Amino acid sequence: MARLDALTGNECAAQAARLCRVDTVVGYPITPQSSVVESIAAMVANGKMSSKFITPESEHSVMSILKGAGMMGERVFTATSGQGLAYMYEPYFSMSTARIPMVMALATREMISPVTVWSGMQDAHSVRDAGWIHLYAADNQEILDSIIQGYLIAEHPDVIIPVHVCYDGFYLSHQTAEVVVPDQEAVDAFLPPCALTQMLDVNDPAMVDSNTPGDLMMEYREDHLASMRRALDVVAEVDAAFAAGFGRSHAGLLETYRVDDAEEIVVTIGAMSGTAKDAVDAARAKGRSVGLIRVRCLRPFPAKALGALLAGRKAVGVVDRSVSFGWSAGIVYQETLAALGLAGIAVPTLSAIGGLGGADIREEHLARVLDLIHDCALAGRSRQDAVWMNHELLSAQRR
Amino acid sequence: MTVVEFLAQAEDLVSPGLSACQGCAAELALRTAMKVIGPKSVVGIPPGCVAGFGAPGWGLKTGMKVPVCMPLLGNSASLMSGIKQAYAAKDPEVRVVAFAGDGATVDAGFQCLSAAAERRENIIYICYDNEGYMNTGFQKSGTTPHGAHMSTTPSGSCSQGNAAFKKDLPLMLAMQDAAYVATLSVSHIPDFVDKLKKACEVTDGLSYLHILSPCPTGWGTTPELSIEYARKAVETLYFPLYEYSRGTFTISKPTLRAAAKAKPVSEFLAGQRRFRHLCEADALALQEHVDRKWGILSRLAG
Repeated sequence: MARLDALTGNECAAQAARLCRVDTVVGYPITPQSSVVESIAAMVANGKMSSKFITPESEHSVMSILKGAGMMGERVFTATSGQGLAYMYEPYFSMSTARIPMVMALATREMISPVTVWSGMQDAHSVRDAGWIHLYAADNQEILDSIIQGYLIAEHPDVIIPVHVCYDGFYLSHQTAEVVVPDQEAVDAFLPPCALTQMLDVNDPAMVDSNTPGDLMMEYREDHLASMRRALDVVAEVDAAFAAGFGRSHAGLLETYRVDDAEEIVVTIGAMSGTAKDAVDAARAKGRSVGLIRVRCLRPFPAKALGALLAGRKAVGVVDRSVSFGWSAGIVYQETLAALGLAGIAVPTLSAIGGLGGADIREEHLARVLDLIHDCALAGRSRQDAVWMNHELLSAQRR
Repeated sequence: MTVVEFLAQAEDLVSPGLSACQGCAAELALRTAMKVIGPKSVVGIPPGCVAGFGAPGWGLKTGMKVPVCMPLLGNSASLMSGIKQAYAAKDPEVRVVAFAGDGATVDAGFQCLSAAAERRENIIYICYDNEGYMNTGFQKSGTTPHGAHMSTTPSGSCSQGNAAFKKDLPLMLAMQDAAYVATLSVSHIPDFVDKLKKACEVTDGLSYLHILSPCPTGWGTTPELSIEYARKAVETLYFPLYEYSRGTFTISKPTLRAAAKAKPVSEFLAGQRRFRHLCEADALALQEHVDRKWGILSRLAG
């Protein structure tokens, strides 16, 4: 029987790795994910999980050992955050481009400098073009479920691309919430045993990662992009299959909330989405016609689906926990602009930036963003510069 | 069977026709090492000369007759650990080998190599030390000797070449109590083969083999003299041959013979373009460094 429990986001990630029967976990501590690998180490030490657990000297080695095990056809797992992700960037990129499927939990974190260990999505968003599939969870249940879904997506023969499941550091990684932990039999029925290719076999010698001329490299990248495109369908299909098996859906690629008749839309990502739904409800109560779209899958980006959802609206605002240096905007905002452009939709937009380095995104911040989206709709013009949510709230309060 | 007979009959597991420079000692070291290690092995060759001359392959063609991959510059020991740990469950007899240059070993790859030794990963890590980043144009590495003229430590009116001294990785790994550590030279093949065989027998930790690999292109010597320079490095105690295992240092026979009447380091330096600017004081500094290192080693070997 599935079990109701109270778990932190990090414990959810660890439980998911156990349920997915991963062969190897490689762990290195970094705030705010450390308790993921600690939980796994404890389960292995107490015989509750049969994975190998390896403790190297850096995240660079974490991903390198995982790549070695992955080339041998193992199902592997780790977790990281912020500087750890940055440090592992080199093998991280080669994991996806060598087409070794795995799942990594990413408790997202702001990037240094100046020094911070707190929440933000700059780490994950900065690697959106490194070939991985990016899923973003909005609550602890979704962390657990997305990791289970993640292996099915990553190992799908039409995909064969690693997945990371991102979740707001501290807000989800450390907060306890009610979670349904599925039983092993149900997960086994959903996720078949690992059957990945053993690339390095003494009985069938081959090379992996040889020096590669450009025309062949073009073929590899074209195939990777085609698989990414197919992953759009697979992510949605796997979530639907999960819903059929477990009675819970996480909305596939994009979650919508009160969008059907909405003239104005706020686009969110991650844990802020729950608070944003409250802000939407409050605005609705005041007679505002507003709805919410949460981006669950940032890579591959569901541009077509998002464009279709945004057609016919009067204004669109996007809230980011990251910045795009060189643009006065956040990163999900840019993605949204690209989707609008592709769909040929001209609509007033704004980029709101908040929650950097652990700054809170409270309902009042989001209420102010909804007001500013409404201003855009009334003016019929996009806002050129980003809304800095902390400043904006203070100046609104002063007025 | 003599060593010569053994090498004559053993299968060459490296493809013919690779594009190494003439006189490359690293190619000889790879072919010889693989004859001992044998076909039940997986090899990782990170960026460097051996990767550059095509051992891990080009495009869709492989350069080896065993499974081979190209790690990143700084992750060979970690990547091969992951492979070995996965293979251990399927077939513990499969040998997992890193064949890496000095840059990938003592510089970028040192951190993870040290950690793999600490975790007692059962891999064979072979460093072919040609004393610089020779594949990318002869830049200084952590094993470049003092005084060497390299493209990033050029001699000039304000410089006498490399100001640093060669980093001693085998000694560092011995101090970490790696399961087996040895230094090897292509000039002393029976000793070379013997040490590889011992590395292959280790089942409870990491074997680290450090091979001095003369590089005619980078050192500025003629290709036919590579073995000769390797021999001079041994005879001058510039590169002592020894083993470390389970708390014991053993000086190898060629070095014991050389130590009895060690030749001056200047005999090793002579004729190499990278040293031709050296003044007497520089040569003396190198001699003193060699003497000091040999003093440490001979005391350790007691």
